[in-house]
Amino acid sequence: MSTASGPRVGLFVTCLVDAMRPQIGFAALQLLEEAGCRVEVPRQQTCCGQPAWNSGDAADAASIARQVIAAFEPYDYLVAPSGSCAGTITHYPELLARDPVWGPRAAALAAKTHEVLSFLVDVLGYTPTGLRLDASATYHDSCSGLRELGVHDQPRALLAAVEGLELRPLEGDNVCCGFGGTFCVKYPAISNAIITEKAEAIDATGADLLLAGDLGCLMNMAGKLHRRGSKVRCYHTIEIIAGGGAGPAIGETP
Amino acid sequence: MTTRDSILAAVHAGLGGLRAEPDAIAAEAAGLLADLDAIRPRLAAPDPVDAFEIKAAALGTTIERVRHLDDVPAAVGRYLAAQGLPPAAAVQQTAALTALSWEGIAQDMATAPDQPAAVGLARLGIAESGSIVIHSATDSPILLAFLPLHHIVVLHASSVVAHLEDYARLLDGGSQPRNAILITGPSGTTDIEGSYVRGAHGPGFVHVIIVNDRSRA
Amino acid sequence: MTAQDQTSFKARAGAALADTTLKLAIDRTTGTAERKRAAALAGFPEFEAARARGAAIKDHVIANLDHYLETFERNATAAGAKVHWAATAEEACDIVVRLCREADAKHVTRSKSMLGEEIHLPDALATAGIERVETDLAEHIIQLAGEHPSHIIWPAMHRTREQVAVLFNADHKPPPDAEDPASMVQSARRVLREKFLSADVGISGANFLVADTGATCTVTNEGNAELTTTPPRVHIVTAGIEKLVPTTAHAFALLRLLVRSATGGELTQYTTFHCGPKRPGDADGPEEMHIVLVDNGRSRMIKDEFREMLRCIRCGACMNHCVVYRQIGGHAYGGTYPGPMGAVLTPVLDGLKQSRDLPFACTMNGRCAEVCPVRIPLPTLLRAWRVRSWEEGLEKAPMRAGLGLWATLARRPGLYRLASAIAVRTLRVLGRSGWIRSLPLAGGWTEHRDLPAPAGGTFMERYKAERAKGDSR
Ligand code: SF4
Repeated sequence: MSTASGPRVGLFVTCLVDAMRPQIGFAALQLLEEAGCRVEVPRQQTCCGQPAWNSGDAADAASIARQVIAAFEPYDYLVAPSGSCAGTITHYPELLARDPVWGPRAAALAAKTHEVLSFLVDVLGYTPTGLRLDASATYHDSCSGLRELGVHDQPRALLAAVEGLELRPLEGDNVCCGFGGTFCVKYPAISNAIITEKAEAIDATGADLLLAGDLGCLMNMAGKLHRRGSKVRCYHTIEIIAGGGAGPAIGETP
Repeated sequence: MTTRDSILAAVHAGLGGLRAEPDAIAAEAAGLLADLDAIRPRLAAPDPVDAFEIKAAALGTTIERVRHLDDVPAAVGRYLAAQGLPPAAAVQQTAALTALSWEGIAQDMATAPDQPAAVGLARLGIAESGSIVIHSATDSPILLAFLPLHHIVVLHASSVVAHLEDYARLLDGGSQPRNAILITGPSGTTDIEGSYVRGAHGPGFVHVIIVNDRSRA
Repeated sequence: MTAQDQTSFKARAGAALADTTLKLAIDRTTGTAERKRAAALAGFPEFEAARARGAAIKDHVIANLDHYLETFERNATAAGAKVHWAATAEEACDIVVRLCREADAKHVTRSKSMLGEEIHLPDALATAGIERVETDLAEHIIQLAGEHPSHIIWPAMHRTREQVAVLFNADHKPPPDAEDPASMVQSARRVLREKFLSADVGISGANFLVADTGATCTVTNEGNAELTTTPPRVHIVTAGIEKLVPTTAHAFALLRLLVRSATGGELTQYTTFHCGPKRPGDADGPEEMHIVLVDNGRSRMIKDEFREMLRCIRCGACMNHCVVYRQIGGHAYGGTYPGPMGAVLTPVLDGLKQSRDLPFACTMNGRCAEVCPVRIPLPTLLRAWRVRSWEEGLEKAPMRAGLGLWATLARRPGLYRLASAIAVRTLRVLGRSGWIRSLPLAGGWTEHRDLPAPAGGTFMERYKAERAKGDSR
C-alpha cells in the first residue's frame, strides 16, 4: 500500500535476489510501503555491475552504471536489500570520475542510495510492531554494508523489536565470510578455509538462525553450513522483519 | 645526469613540475601540527611527574623518588641489594654523577658486554609515554644504556616534559646530538609467537631514580 | 627472485593451507596483535583524528618530496653523514657492498629493515662474501632457517616456538636452557652479544628520515638497532625516499599511530634518532655514517594510481586483519611485502605479470583500509591493479568471455530477464531438494559448499504478475 505523500523509492532488487530469492525483494517492498514510501521497481534494472568492476572491466562496469543511473535518477531514493550492491552504486562517482556528464549524475544517485535496513531505521525512523519469533539467532555483518555504508546498529535495532527472538553474539561477526564475489570461485581453496572458520563460529553460537543483510554472503554461509550438516537455518534479516520467519529458509523447499 | 639528479627529476616530474616556495611548505607543515591535543593522548595524571611514573611503571620500569641528588648513591645501593647484585656499577662520567659520594659502591668504569648494572643521567623524561631520553655526548656513551642487564637512570623531576612534541621543541635550533634515544621500558621482544619476553638485547631491567628538585608550587 | 617465487601463487597458497602448524603460528601472532591493537586504541580516543592527520602529513611530504629530499640531504650532509642515491635495488646493493668493501668489512651486523629485504641486500652481501649477522630476533630465526620474512613486523611469525627451538638447538652453542620463549630469547642474546661488538659495519633501515635535522629514526623493541649502529666503525642506513618527515615532531605524530597499530604499544622500547657520525670527543659511535636513499619504483608511484600507497608506514595492521593473510601467511604472496599492502606493492616492484594473482586474491572486505593508520584505501588500489590487468589483457580468456557475455546481457534488460528466467528454471530442476551439490561450471563453489537452488520464479516475473493481478482488480 502506498501513500501519496511518502518519498518515491526505486527498489533495486539486485540480480541475486531477483534470481535466487525473490522473497527478499518482496519483504523489502512490503516494509518500505508500510513505512510510507511509494515504491516502484524500474524495469530497466539488471545488476549493479559489480562483477565487472571487481574484475577490472571498468568499461562494462561504467556502461552498466550509466544504465542504473538513468533508471533510478527520477526517484527520491534508490534502496537495495544488499549493502554490497548499494555500496557499488555509491562508488559510481569513482567509476565515472572522468565523465563530465555522467560523473555528476553518478554523484547525485550515490547520495540518495541506501541499503534497505539502514534506510528503514535512519531515514524512515521505522520500528516494526507486533512481530514474534520464538528462536535464537546470530547475526553476521556483511562487509560492504558494514564498512562502506555503516550498517551495524540498524539491523540489530530492528531485530530487537522482534519478541521472542534471542540474539546471540557471533565471534568475529565483522570478519569477512570469504565470499568476495568472483573471489570464491577464483580462489576456492582460500575461500573455503575462510568460510570453514566462519561456519565453525556460527555453529558455536548454538543459534537456530543465521541472519545477514547480503544474499551473496548468505548463500556462501548457508551452503557451507548445509555441506557440514549444520542445522542452522539462514535468512536475510529483512525477511524476519517482514514477518517471514515462518517461511522456508535459504535452501529449504516450501 | 647523476642518479641523484635523475631521481629528483623523476620526483619533480611526478609532481607535475610544480614546486611550492619553502616558506609556504614550512607553513603547511606547521599547520599539520596545529591543535596537538586533538591528536595525542591525555597525560595519565595532571602532574607530569606522576603521569611519567604511571606510564613507566606500566611498562615494567621500576621507580624510586628521592629528595636530593645526594641521595642517589644510597638509592642505587638499595636497588642493587634488593636485586641481589654486588655493590658495583658502571657510573656515567658526567659531572652531576661523579661529584656524588659513591662510597660503598665500586665504580666499574669499563662498560663490559655483560655488566650487571650501570648508572646514567637522563636528559629528560616524557610524561606522555613514560620514556626517558638519553643523548650521546663526550660524557655520555650510548652503550652504557644497552650493555648492562640493569640500567639505573637518574632523572630530575624538573626535566620531565609533558609530551613528545615538547621534547622535539627542545631539539630545535640545531641541538640534535649524534644519537638521541627515547627509552620506553626495558628491552623486550614479541618475535616468538607474539608473546612478550622481557630483556632481549638491551637491559632487562630499567630503574629510574627521580630526584625531586622542583620547587614546591 | 627466490626459488619459491617461481611456483604459482595458487600452489603456494595451497601448500600453506595444508600446513596446520603454519595456521597455528599465524593465529597465535595475529590474534595477539589484533587484541593488543584494539586495547591500545581503546585508550586513545584521539585515534581517528590522529590518523586523518597522519595521512595528511604523509600526503604533504609526498606532494613536496623533492623539497624534502634536498633539505634532508643538505642537513644530513651538514651533520657529517654521506648521502647516496640509488634508483634501483641493484644500485642500492652495489653501493652498500662497495661501502662494506671500502671499510674492509669481514662481518656486518644488520638490524631489521624491510627495505633491505626489498632490495635483496642479504643475497647481495652473501654474493660479495661478506658475513652478515641478523640481530633482530626474528631475523636471526629466519636467517638460521634460510628463509625470507613472512610478516613486516614479525618476520618469523610463521614459525611456532617449537620450530624455533629446533633451529636454536641446532645452532646455538650452548643450546637454550629450555624451549619456552624466554629461554630462547636469552640464548639468542648470548649468541649475538659478541657479534655486535666485533662487527666492522652496522646496517640499519629507517622508519623516518627527518628533513630539518638530517637525522634517521629507527624504532625497535629489542635494542638491537642501537647495538648494531653504535660499536662498528661504519653505520650504513638504507631507506626508501618516501620515509621523509618535515620535523621530529611530525615523526612523533606518526609514531603514535605506527606503534599502536603494529604491536599495540604506545612507543617502542627504543626510538632512536641517528644524526651523522661520532662527534669530536663523543664517548662512542661510528666514525662514518652513510645514508642510501632508494627509489626502486617509488618516484613512478607519485604520478600513478598508487600514490596513496606511499603513505604506508609499514605497521602491518592490514595483514593482521586480513582474512586471506590469516589463512595463507606471508610466504604465499611471493614478494617481499605480504598481505594487503604487499598485494599493492609487489606488482609495483616485481611487475604485474609476475604477481597478477595478488590483487585478485582479495575479497574486497575493506577491513585493511578500516585499520590502516594512514587511511590508505587499499581495496581501491587493489582494484586499480585489476583494471590494469584487464586493460593489459592479462585476464584469462574464459573469464573474459564469460564476463563479456554477462555484461552484454546486463545491458539489455529484456534479454537479461529472459536469460535469468531460463537459468533459474534450470537450477530449480537441478536442485529439486533445495540444494545443488555439484554444478559443472561452478565447481569452485560446489567443491566446498552446496548451492541453494533458486526459491522459484524471478522477482521480476513474479512482481510483474502480481501488479497485473492488482491492476485487473
Ligand atoms: S598499508 Fe596501512 S595498515 Fe598496511 S602496513 Fe601500511 S600503514 Fe600499516
